[in-house]
Amino acid sequence: MASVHLENINKSFGSINALSNLNLEIKDGEFFVLLGPTGAGKTTTLRIVSGLEMPDSGNIFFNEELVNNVQPAFRNTSYVFQQYSLYPHYSVYDNLAFPLRSPLRKSDKKTIDDRVHEIAKLLKIENKLNNKATQLSGGEMQRVSLGRALVRDPNIYLMDEPLSSLDAKLREELRVELKKIQTDLYATILYVTHDQIEATTMADRIGVLKEGLLTQVGTPQEIYEEPNSIYVANRLGSPKINILDNKQIHNSQNSSASYVGIRPEDIKIDQNGSYNVKIETTELLGAETLVSFKSDTVNGILLTQENINVGEGDNIKIGINETKILYFDNNEQRMR
Amino acid sequence: MSKKLINKARGLSDKAIAWIFITPTVLLLLAINIYPLFYAISMSFTNFYANKIGKEIKWVGLKNYIKVLGKESVWERMQITANFMFWTLLIQALIGLGLALLLNKKFKGNELLTTLIVLPMMLSPAVVGTFWTYLYNPQVGVFSYIMNFFYNFGPIDMIGSSVLAPWSIVIVDTWMWTPFTMLICLAGLRSIPDYLYEAAEVDRASRWQQFIYITLPSVLPFLLLALLFRGIENFKMFDMVVELTSGGPGSATELASIQLKREAFEKWKTGYSSAYAVILFVTIFGFGNVYVKVMNKIKDR
Repeated sequence: MASVHLENINKSFGSINALSNLNLEIKDGEFFVLLGPTGAGKTTTLRIVSGLEMPDSGNIFFNEELVNNVQPAFRNTSYVFQQYSLYPHYSVYDNLAFPLRSPLRKSDKKTIDDRVHEIAKLLKIENKLNNKATQLSGGEMQRVSLGRALVRDPNIYLMDEPLSSLDAKLREELRVELKKIQTDLYATILYVTHDQIEATTMADRIGVLKEGLLTQVGTPQEIYEEPNSIYVANRLGSPKINILDNKQIHNSQNSSASYVGIRPEDIKIDQNGSYNVKIETTELLGAETLVSFKSDTVNGILLTQENINVGEGDNIKIGINETKILYFDNNEQRMR
Repeated sequence: MSKKLINKARGLSDKAIAWIFITPTVLLLLAINIYPLFYAISMSFTNFYANKIGKEIKWVGLKNYIKVLGKESVWERMQITANFMFWTLLIQALIGLGLALLLNKKFKGNELLTTLIVLPMMLSPAVVGTFWTYLYNPQVGVFSYIMNFFYNFGPIDMIGSSVLAPWSIVIVDTWMWTPFTMLICLAGLRSIPDYLYEAAEVDRASRWQQFIYITLPSVLPFLLLALLFRGIENFKMFDMVVELTSGGPGSATELASIQLKREAFEKWKTGYSSAYAVILFVTIFGFGNVYVKVMNKIKDR
């Protein structure tokens, strides 16, 4: 495994800036997740690290060694493609064995066979080994694609939304499994997703991308608790953070702020609360209840663990945990 | 009136409408393909001579078939045809696939080059045969000139020599029809998505492995289809060879179809040559069917 360092990477396709001045340091053995919506430059970053794409400018280092002009095969990365990219004419077994048969790494038949079965077992595709790659369901294809990356021990694993087409249960299982594999192998993983739950559950650190700009890097907790912009605050957290006008907040601590962000769990139903609101809808989420409320000045959602005996249309009082309020200026940047 | 027709059509079932559309074509096919086929089969059991009108036509049973299959000259012509097919298909497959691989690379002038390479295919086979007789001319022909550029062979008489003449028709057919295999292979190559090669590159596969694992299996069904078309065409090859060598020297390039034409329309042995034609038809039909079965198996693999 290796550490990967991207320095001032720029990449544009025609007039579209895919990445601007990207600086990223992925430590050896780190699970790094790039989070961002479609078109934020996540896949482009992966392709640049793998060597499939050349940056317009900037440097790429593996273990502090410049690899800008090193061919993909010699960078020794393994890549889980979003569109699976299985070899259609071969069986699942051959697809998994393919990277092990590379002339750059001489493995004997027995080693290959053992490794393929080990990975197939891990990903629960053992009974599909003799199937043709095209005779699989989407979820199975994705697991084979994941397996094809995991059979090797590369410098870095690059994963492009590898769990996106799995059903919820399997996704949850594989999330845990993947994190376990990563800690066991002390693997370096650069993982790309738009799913915040994947990001927060697996990542050692998260990088939030917005239109080719890396807006914030930090541990999941840092990103969640100390987002440096409304954009980042919105990307993490489910249900979403409430963004309100600063003027609507009673006794605001920061008079120059334009917006405030309040996490739904920091708003409570409170007899002594200072806001009178009306309940719009309630949703039971198991242990918690999601309540959306509205008044002339504020509207938003709150999350409560208490058993509430109020329903839609009821008037309640709410209180806000004022120490947890995040203040943002008129450029939607965090004020500290 | 037209309104009446529309109303009438509305009352018809889909099946009936389908029949109305295909009936003219079916009738035409029956008249110019199916009827002659059965007429020929029926004649193949008689001693009919098309130039002896009025002579009584006698039923002779399988006599014509026995005569055709027992004739040494027929087997010789079959061998000449088989040789011609084997070499043309082999060479066209190799060069066609090779050219397609080269043209599949993105470079400037790629489309112009494709057009130029495809040109020979557009010409009439009779014209090709005729002008290659000039190119093959041992004294003034370009072919002899070019060969002598590499080594001093002296005048090369491709058409006149019974050893070289079979190769002369192989060369011309290859020149004319390699673009066809190339075009179909190119279509196959274009259908391979880039990301497969990217995956292979990241998986550290060599160029050779990429070719064996990705390119070849993807393009093989296309190549086999091209060879099927070429095989059927070359089994029936007539016009180009007649113009080029007229089957000569001696019978060195007399393909089965040329012999058949001579038996039928020079010697007018209509019954006998009908039997010959039926045998050729069954042969190519049988081979074609087996080939298609094999091809489908490869495709499903």
